[in-house]
Amino acid sequence: MFDYETLKLIWWLLVGALLIGFAIMDGHDMGVGALLPFVGKNDDERRVVINTVAPHWDGNQVWFITAGGAIFAAWPLVYATAFSGFYWAMMAVLWALFFRPVGFDYRSKVQNATWRNTWDWGLFIGGAIPPIIFGVAFGNLFLGVPFQFDDTLRSTYTGTFWALLNPFALLAGVLSLSMIVFQGANYLMIRTEGDIYKRVRTASFWSGALTFALFALAGFWLMKDIGGYAITSYIDGNALPDPLDKTVVKEVGAWMKNYSLYAWAKWVPITTFIAIVLGMLLSRLHKPGMAFIASSITCAGIIGTAGVSLFPFVMPSSSDPRSSLTIWDSASSQMTLGLMLGATVIFLPLIIVYTSWAYKVMSGKITTDFIKANDKSVY
Amino acid sequence: MISTELVDISRLQFAVTALYHFLFVPLTLGMTFMLVTMELTYLITSKQIYKDMVKFWGKLFGINFALGVTTGITMEFQFGTNWAYYSHYVGDIFGAPLAIEGLMAFFLESTFIGLFFFGWDKLSKGKHFMVTVFMAIGSNLSALWILIANGWMQNPVGSEFSFTTMRMEMSDFWAIVFNPVAQAKFVHTVSAGYVTASLFVLGISSYYILKGRDLEFAKRSFRMAAGFGFASALSVIVLGDESGYTVGEAQQTKLAAMEAMWHTEAAPAGFTLFAIPNEETQSNDYEISIPYVMGLIGTRSLTKTIPGIIEIKAKNRERIINGEIAVKALEALRKNKNDAAALVLFNGHKEDLGFGLLLKKYTEDVSAATPAMIQLAVDSTVPKVAPMFFGFRIMVVLGFGMLALFSLALLYSIKGTFFHKRWLLRWAVLFIPAPWIAMELGWVVAEYGRQPWSIYGVLPTHLSASSLTPANVYGSLAGFVTFYTVLLIIEMYLMLKYTRMGPSSLGTGRYHNENPAAA
Amino acid sequence: MWYFAWILGVTLAVLMASLAATLCDAKECALDAARRADGSH
Ligand code: HDD
Ligand code: HEM
Ligand code: HEM
Repeated sequence: MFDYETLKLIWWLLVGALLIGFAIMDGHDMGVGALLPFVGKNDDERRVVINTVAPHWDGNQVWFITAGGAIFAAWPLVYATAFSGFYWAMMAVLWALFFRPVGFDYRSKVQNATWRNTWDWGLFIGGAIPPIIFGVAFGNLFLGVPFQFDDTLRSTYTGTFWALLNPFALLAGVLSLSMIVFQGANYLMIRTEGDIYKRVRTASFWSGALTFALFALAGFWLMKDIGGYAITSYIDGNALPDPLDKTVVKEVGAWMKNYSLYAWAKWVPITTFIAIVLGMLLSRLHKPGMAFIASSITCAGIIGTAGVSLFPFVMPSSSDPRSSLTIWDSASSQMTLGLMLGATVIFLPLIIVYTSWAYKVMSGKITTDFIKANDKSVY
Repeated sequence: MISTELVDISRLQFAVTALYHFLFVPLTLGMTFMLVTMELTYLITSKQIYKDMVKFWGKLFGINFALGVTTGITMEFQFGTNWAYYSHYVGDIFGAPLAIEGLMAFFLESTFIGLFFFGWDKLSKGKHFMVTVFMAIGSNLSALWILIANGWMQNPVGSEFSFTTMRMEMSDFWAIVFNPVAQAKFVHTVSAGYVTASLFVLGISSYYILKGRDLEFAKRSFRMAAGFGFASALSVIVLGDESGYTVGEAQQTKLAAMEAMWHTEAAPAGFTLFAIPNEETQSNDYEISIPYVMGLIGTRSLTKTIPGIIEIKAKNRERIINGEIAVKALEALRKNKNDAAALVLFNGHKEDLGFGLLLKKYTEDVSAATPAMIQLAVDSTVPKVAPMFFGFRIMVVLGFGMLALFSLALLYSIKGTFFHKRWLLRWAVLFIPAPWIAMELGWVVAEYGRQPWSIYGVLPTHLSASSLTPANVYGSLAGFVTFYTVLLIIEMYLMLKYTRMGPSSLGTGRYHNENPAAA
Repeated sequence: MWYFAWILGVTLAVLMASLAATLCDAKECALDAARRADGSH
């Protein structure tokens, strides 16, 4: 139906869409987790906060799982190289995520302050650590990752975990966390009232401001100081993928090329800035629903900006630039891409429909009275 | 070159994390359908007690589910972290069912489980029932897709190797979906899950009856579990036989090891009831054998022979020597894609490429393999016999034991006398761990029995691992073991706590200890 | 077609189990309920 080149491009968009879905959906409940110990001052308040996402966190987490599965299916070389290269970062993400299912489900099953307090911090870890690490990983993509392929396409990673924690990547990590907190705070404003509402409204404002500042700073840094990568050989989008079949150079400013090449591209970061400001404004104006939409656009915009800047790279190699992975040479076969596109086109709309229905069924403010009345049946 | 230590420790980590995951999976698979059954009965009879049953057993289910999710996340990413070369080599095929599993199954299961727990007051009776049904279908569909993926590893159909991309590529998706191994695996494994959930409910209900508490609640649960369990125990055995048959078709080495068949016997072969397999002498000590039975199970015919280990090895030696040529031709092709002579040579021998790759464990340069190395590779093509032989037999014995238990439980339920049969109730309590043991052994037989391959006949396990240092994997393995063990202890504590509280944990005021007069 | 057999099998097993439980209402559970209503325990 589509030629190979088009399919590769579509899958770049689809992976992006899944990552954005992940940031918007799992992002808001991770944001809730990250805020939990600070906006809930006592057990009842914390239960309010937790129960705003109680029926939804697992469905939201599947965005993450599906994004992983989709990268496996569509970009097997990226799945293999990124996750084995970022081994300890990945372990840290997994271990942080462990706290969430059990934290949500077990916390309120025992009447004991220490028990509950421990799980609350567990939920905090599960909400705060993964976004930081994802941000750090994205930051490192811009810098290039030290890996190379041998003749049989086995990848070897030659860096260390600590090398990932460089200043630019850390900035990206904090940016990612503040974006997620912004998203979570706006969501909590929709679902709470009273003291908690006041606290999350403040959090929304400051995390919005921080997101704005860090996003601007990262862009500036990227423009002035960070060496990007560029393909110097002819690209045939329809060719069978072979990452060793190209030449790549490093050059400062390469990550800005797409913005001069395509006029529409600069609208991605511009929209992002506008969305952040609008989100902050709307939360000031007590319009949490609209603010949530604005912060969702923020998530989409920040991830979109990263994707557009890197395009067509997915994972550049700093130690052997020609090993770099691009959307043209790390894709699956045409048959698999086509088949998976079909599956996505069928299932993604269904998912959106029943997820929306689930949110609609469970909508409304959660209050401490509600928690007390349903002590045995809510988290 | 990848060290054997790295591969072994990576395998150990995979085995540990997968076996942990599978402590929680089967209860989810079966419990969701038990909950459907309870809620259906509530829908039909409108009796409050059935709603209480859904809620109470649902609570225990939820405690289990949380760890199913926790351990499942690891599995999704572990192929990339620890089996990077594998992920590259077969991702084109293997990734697809995993992604579809997310899109089709996990989303469904996980979205509706939230409504299952929290939607009672927000949904009508009928709508809530549909939510429960979707949750059950979702969890079972997830088993379907992951077992299609696993079935493909056991019997890699519908795919072809491409030397330009240096990987396996999909050629026929429907062949992968309707792979007979995947089908048998799916029905056998979900039935095993139903057995697990039935025995869980049966055992705990028996405990309440033995204690003389919450009788109305426990008796109904007991009967339901007896009915569901009988059907499931029967099907787990029938479908286990089907699994054995597909193994015989697709993986002769595994079948030979499971049956400790050292030599090809005249058809139909006898079934070895008991023996102590001896790797040194390549024969069995203390063998007790029933004539004809194995031939009937393995081939469903009186005339087909089942090859023995020694004969299989002789054949594999030829394939390894052939494969050596394929590997060399491939190396030439990787250097120069237009090398016509190499292409001809490669196409002539590519069926045995995987066997040639087995030699990579012993030498980087396959053409320099010595006869001693070839012998080692030949010997490695058959897994160790004893764990396979005993693992399989224990699973089967437990299977028949459970069938007996459920048959009696159902018989006395129909007669309406089960609650007087204290021996039966005690048996049910004691047997609670049985399905878990059978299941973990089943996976060990299926997965260890696939060795030395990660994709049977295609990709050796040895090549599949990521290029990490062993220290990295020791570290992460220690982390997983610590995390999982602590979480398992917490889970068991909560399970026991809520089991002891029983339906009174719902706080309805109708159950044991809540209102002494009514208890 | 084992996948098809599965759909059928599960449906049957669910119905059978439901029936087994409701049988309780016809048998011992009815007695239990009557006894409790008596207050004789
Ligand atoms: C036969 C069934 C079966 C098998 C062999 C596996 N799983 Fe599993 N998995 C399930 C059946 C299941 C389930 C029944 O759907 C679970 C178990 C408990 C649960 O809560 O859902 C689940 C949960 C679960 C989750 C969490 C889903 C969520 O958040 O809701 C993930 C990511 C995986 N699994 C991934 C895997 C992978 C990558 C496997 C292969 C190595 C694997 N599972 C083997
Ligand atoms: C007479 C009884 C049984 C027979 C003949 C039987 C047969 C088999 C066979 C041949 C395999 C290996 C399949 C493979 O390698 O691909 C297997 C695997 C397995 N068995 Fe059984 N089994 C029986 C009972 C049970 C019981 C009672 C349980 C658990 C309740 C169980 C759970 C499993 C599991 C989870 C697997 C691994 C998944 C799979 O490969 O299908 N089995 N069984
Ligand atoms: C949850 C149920 C499962 C259990 C309990 C299980 C068990 C095991 C065990 C015991 C091993 C180690 C074998 C050895 O190295 O000796 C193993 C390895 C492995 N299994 Fe499974 N397995 C399960 C499901 C799966 C599924 C569904 C897949 C694929 C879809 C899979 C893929 C693998 C891979 C890639 C390895 C490592 C490479 C290898 O040793 O071949 N497993 N598993």
